[in-house]
Amino acid sequence: MKTGDPPRLATWMLRRALPRGVPGDTILGDLIEEWNARRVARLKGSPSFRGISGATGARGFSTFWYWRQALLVVARYAWRRERSTEPAATGARSIRMSTDNFLQDLRYGVRSYAKSPSFTAVVLTTLALGIGASTAIFSMVNGILLQPLPLPDPDRLVYANETNPKGDSISVSWPNYLDWRVRAKSFDALALSRDEAMALTGSDRPQRVRARRVTGNTFAALRVAPAIGRAFTDADDAPGAAPVVIVTDAFWRGQLSADPRVLGQNMRLDGVQHTIVGVMPNGFEFPRFFFPRPHDLFVSMGPVSGTPNLTDRGNHNGYAAIGRLAPGFSVESAGEELKTIAAALEHEYPNSNSGVRVRTARLADQLVSAIRPTLLTLLGAVGCLLLIACVNVANLLIARGASRQHELAVRAALGGGRLRLANQLLVESTLISLAGGALGVAVASWLLRMLITMAPDATPRITDVRLDGTALLFALVASATCGVVFGALPAFQASGVGGQHALVRGRAAGFAARSHRLRRGLLVVETALALMLLAGAGLMMRTLRQLTHVDVGIRTEHLLTTRIQLADERYTPARRVTFYGDLLSRLRAVPGVSNAAVTLSLPIDGSNWNSIFTVADKPVPERAKLPSAAFTPVSTGYFETMGIRLVRGRLFDATESPDSPKTVAINETLARRLWPGEDPIGKRLKQGWPETPDHPTKPGAYFAPWREVVGVVSDVKMNGITSETPLQAYLPLVQEPARGLAMVIRTAVDPASLVAQIESVVRDLDKDLPLAQTRTMDQVLDASIARQRVSMIIFVVFAIVALTLASVGLYGVVAHGVTERTHEIGVRMALGADARHVLGLVVRQGLSMAVVGTVIGVAGALALSRWIQSLLFGVTATDPATFVAVVATLLAVATLACGIPAWRATHVDPTTALRAE
Amino acid sequence: MAPAYLGEFEQLLLLAILRLDANAYGVELARELETRAGRTVSRGHLYTSLDRLEDKDLLRWKPTPGTPERGGLPRRLYSVTPAGIGALRASRDTLRRMWRGLEDVLKEPTS
Repeated sequence: MKTGDPPRLATWMLRRALPRGVPGDTILGDLIEEWNARRVARLKGSPSFRGISGATGARGFSTFWYWRQALLVVARYAWRRERSTEPAATGARSIRMSTDNFLQDLRYGVRSYAKSPSFTAVVLTTLALGIGASTAIFSMVNGILLQPLPLPDPDRLVYANETNPKGDSISVSWPNYLDWRVRAKSFDALALSRDEAMALTGSDRPQRVRARRVTGNTFAALRVAPAIGRAFTDADDAPGAAPVVIVTDAFWRGQLSADPRVLGQNMRLDGVQHTIVGVMPNGFEFPRFFFPRPHDLFVSMGPVSGTPNLTDRGNHNGYAAIGRLAPGFSVESAGEELKTIAAALEHEYPNSNSGVRVRTARLADQLVSAIRPTLLTLLGAVGCLLLIACVNVANLLIARGASRQHELAVRAALGGGRLRLANQLLVESTLISLAGGALGVAVASWLLRMLITMAPDATPRITDVRLDGTALLFALVASATCGVVFGALPAFQASGVGGQHALVRGRAAGFAARSHRLRRGLLVVETALALMLLAGAGLMMRTLRQLTHVDVGIRTEHLLTTRIQLADERYTPARRVTFYGDLLSRLRAVPGVSNAAVTLSLPIDGSNWNSIFTVADKPVPERAKLPSAAFTPVSTGYFETMGIRLVRGRLFDATESPDSPKTVAINETLARRLWPGEDPIGKRLKQGWPETPDHPTKPGAYFAPWREVVGVVSDVKMNGITSETPLQAYLPLVQEPARGLAMVIRTAVDPASLVAQIESVVRDLDKDLPLAQTRTMDQVLDASIARQRVSMIIFVVFAIVALTLASVGLYGVVAHGVTERTHEIGVRMALGADARHVLGLVVRQGLSMAVVGTVIGVAGALALSRWIQSLLFGVTATDPATFVAVVATLLAVATLACGIPAWRATHVDPTTALRAE
Repeated sequence: MAPAYLGEFEQLLLLAILRLDANAYGVELARELETRAGRTVSRGHLYTSLDRLEDKDLLRWKPTPGTPERGGLPRRLYSVTPAGIGALRASRDTLRRMWRGLEDVLKEPTS
């Protein structure tokens, strides 16, 4: 026989994979021999090899065969290379044996799952849903609550703000901050900053940018330095220092074309020229408290640090402090020190600082404190869901174990050890758990993307949420745990098969009865968990309903809002008044617009100006008890545009002018609080402290005039749907023309259709005025309850999945019970029992499980009610109506799940049933 | 010691070795399985199964000189050990026990 050489690469791979020496050589030799034999047989046209003839064809055919066999051999041998030339020593051999056994079990498991595709599909789906949902929620919890902030040493960063006499959090006043900085020893660097939406003008399109005004030591406190240029210094804080700006990397690339010569260029922000002195590194993000998206740039304190607004110790202008702890100090000790300093300041400056205290927290905690309860509750809910999924799978595996008892008994009779069998089943259940987990990761990735899209803009640290290594590790651990814990049960049960007994088919095998009891117990657990999720979903639905039915105090439909900022220096108060007058008359002339007005603060969004005040005809309370109200300058036509009702007196009209006597309109709550039972019209109030002058004592000095109440209007939910109505005082815009206002436009048509026209109206008046936050009032309303809405959606989805799993599980157990009791049912029917009797029997048995589960579930839900209360509004966590509805729903579904197999049971042919033995 | 448990394929392998006797080389084993038992088996599966049987002491092999058709590489000549015979015997007896009484059910239909 003419010999040749088989493919050299395949041979090389074989040599690497096979054992060294004679053992490997013999196998390689066999393959070469067969390759040659096939080639020759092909050439000879042997009938055992069909296909192409000819030398090339023969060679190609045998080469294909050789490659195929080589790869299969390499796959088997590659991982267990031995270097000895003799048959292996015992230790290595036993490792090889157990690995062989493992591979065998694995292959057997894959084959047996492939043989029952619907069972496998159900288990995989259940696991994928459970593991996917929990991995997605865990990713959110991880990114938002657990991961440290992406800053150096984030645990050493402290957040501090002040509190008013009532204990509400307020911002930090500039002079107080300066004193903290000088006196406090706990900080390496204590910085102050606040968010500002600024207008960037000078190019063809004015735009709004998200800026943060920061003190010079801010980047030192954060321990991040600009990638290009320099950071701010204390010199940039000095009053009147040249305005400078540091841009973020994203802004530099997006708006400045990543120009390397950017340093020294100028930008016009709010009408003031700022010089660019630095660019922050890629990936840096300032912690976000307010803006839904990362900041664009940072501006220095110099332009504002000398203004009367800031230097007045009693003014709290929206700034917050962030400090880096000095070595040896903790958050608690720093907090104590600041409290001591605040107490000292209270003594030194009783006029402005009475009752003003300090509040500190870890920066990371401060960022996420609002959302922590929601996230943890969702984590608990998804944990329930995962548990339900696992219990369901365990149930299915037990049922499968029960139906395989015959097969397993045969194997046991043929000599398979008990441990070997248990191993087999464990490998099988781990296999399908890991497969389910892998699918679950795919589900999680999709679900997480959806959650991030749905999440309210204001969700803190949402950009830190991703499906990362930690989340994948969670998914792996969850799947493995499912497989081992809930597969072990059926494994050890089934492996304890007493060979002879199980070989006899029939009822009353003790094993079958035990597994049935176990399944019923697991089902009770499932039902209890499902009920808890249903209760949560029900309460969230009630909450959302309550939220959407709150009377906000305005008519929100067909109302468009947008913000403008007259920041430029040329907009003196007089020019602002003229501007607003022009703006409103042009807006009202736009076809489709019914009415238009401007206001400093938009309802629901929150008041931008809160101030203490005194009233003329009442004794002045002590400083700590001075009332505080939301003061809102509004144009004429505001109340009509918003649909706010006049209760007494009159609304603002042409009577109000810059030189006319100062007036104010108040809301019902303020009227009731300050003048209970009296007519407030004609009464007078004044902003500020009792000693604040009511006329200018010297140029530029702060003063607050007495204002006469001319009207009482209905309440408005100024600070959000869920917060209580504040005291509200409206000022005529002509007497208090603010720089930054929100426009409100009542339309007869779809508000979105008029946006372009409104933009052009503003552009005609001033081409350098960008509009910001253009949305309808309905959108503002929706955004304010977005968090509750998303939570509700998630809860409802979990509850539906849980209910489906539990009812399918119940159906399975009841159906199985019917099969087991076929003989008994046949006997009963042969003895004259009618269909109703049989039906009742089966349904009662099934419902008993559901009822027990429901009772346990209700107890569980009531016990955990404390944790969910913070997410609810307008409904208690133990609301009886909700619980009644939820229990009824569950029992109704359970009845249906029992009813189907029960109905089938009534169609059992007694003669067939009696024969089934 | 109780005889080891034999899977179906393992039984076929041992029986093939016994049939081939002095010709029980790897290539011939594969051919025997194919023609007599109708089983096409990948070489990876074949050799690892033989290795496993060797680990369980149910067969042994000795090297014999090679031929030019195999690049001069040696061959393995397999033989079944007494333990292997015992295992085969046990498997046969078990199957006989299982078959007993079922001749009627399993006999070929005559019509």
